[in-house]
Amino acid sequence: MDKAYSRGRILIMLGVILALILVDHLNSPTFAFNSGQGNVQTALTQRDESACAPCGAPCPSTRN
Amino acid sequence: MSESAVLQAGVKPPAWIVDRFVVLTALAGLGVLGGLIWLETAPFMVALFAIGTVLGMALYHGAFGFTAGWRNLVLKKRGAGMRAQLMLFALSSLIMVPMLYSGQAGLVGAVAPVGTSLVVGSFMFGIGMQLGGGCGSGTLFTVGAGNIRMVVTLVFFIAGAVLGSIHLPWWLDQPGFDPVPLVNTFGVSGAIIVQLLGLGLIARWVNRVELKAHGTLERNELLWKGQEHGVLRTLISGRWPFTWAILILAAGNALTLGIGGSPWSVTFAFNVWGAKALEAVGVNMSQFEFWQWDYPAMALKDSLLTNIPSVMNFGLLLGAMLAAGLANRFNEASRNRPQRRPLLAAVVGGLLLGYGARLGFGCNIGALFSGISSASLHAWIWFACAFAGSLIGIRLRPWFRLPD
Repeated sequence: MDKAYSRGRILIMLGVILALILVDHLNSPTFAFNSGQGNVQTALTQRDESACAPCGAPCPSTRN
Repeated sequence: MSESAVLQAGVKPPAWIVDRFVVLTALAGLGVLGGLIWLETAPFMVALFAIGTVLGMALYHGAFGFTAGWRNLVLKKRGAGMRAQLMLFALSSLIMVPMLYSGQAGLVGAVAPVGTSLVVGSFMFGIGMQLGGGCGSGTLFTVGAGNIRMVVTLVFFIAGAVLGSIHLPWWLDQPGFDPVPLVNTFGVSGAIIVQLLGLGLIARWVNRVELKAHGTLERNELLWKGQEHGVLRTLISGRWPFTWAILILAAGNALTLGIGGSPWSVTFAFNVWGAKALEAVGVNMSQFEFWQWDYPAMALKDSLLTNIPSVMNFGLLLGAMLAAGLANRFNEASRNRPQRRPLLAAVVGGLLLGYGARLGFGCNIGALFSGISSASLHAWIWFACAFAGSLIGIRLRPWFRLPD
């Protein structure tokens, strides 16, 4: 049975996505921290427990 | 007929064909990305990545689509998919509500405000589900399985989510009130009982609809019955009975809570991906209030590899790809070139999904599944409004030439 896809396109798509993730990571505070730079705040252990929703939205009662 | 029955009958069982290229590519992707997460973040993120992968496989092999389950009930009066969802919510409620309120520090439930934003957002999401062809998880696992129309849905899902994030502060200023955890009113046991009663009432209504139309209930999809292959082959290449998917999805969400500190969510990652893309082309997202709040601001600034929803979504995409390769069905849904109107439906549906998910504080996973698993009132309101929106979406599907 003929394949429903092109192997090349799949590899290119996944390669582009991986490259974007890498570029994003190389420019991040976490990468800077891992490279030995201090004084950077990373998101890894940060969780906003005071927020009112999983997206970090504040409570309606706290809004003016 | 099972393989043993086939052999007894003297008939050769159908050959087991695996798409080696897709399987190897998915495994390579999992290895590279998993290794990167291991090297650059922390072991718990690798665990969450692995959970995302298994969830993607379960969604694909279980064909666990919320959208089709709702549509089948409305159009075909068949309730197997809907019953499976209700069973999933009941099981995860039994597991996760006690976990969340056990007093263990660092666990945060999927609770959210109740108000205009939630009602409007979930209603829009419901319409978008039927036009876009999937919910948050449904869109992701079908994209992972190579469905091109769903890639269009995902792109506009992301665009809608970013737009929704810009508008969310205005919507939050409309009438509404703070989150209502049912545990505060009923206690842990009481909240679970109330939720089980609610789910039971919905299940009863679903059964009545199906019995009235067909005289019998469809049960084969739920149980290990009439499978074409043996257990091992079905486990690897599908299709799973709903029960398997329910067990894996419930365990996956509970593990996500235990390891990551909060229940499974999907669509926040879409916000971050879209906002990062806009920042890459020069838009300063920090000018918008949403992106000044602590959690979104931090997620936008830091690596995607530190963002739990993003990492789990990457795993889910690759897990679905792996499952589709094992089933030799990768990209099978896209053999025919997509037509114009179904593509338009993907655009409109994607935008509604994204905008609705942001206003409604998540999708079928983050708001509904995780919300009920956290005994939050907002999840029940989300369920009702999204189902109402879905009824409109179902009516609009014929115009977009979408099949039932």
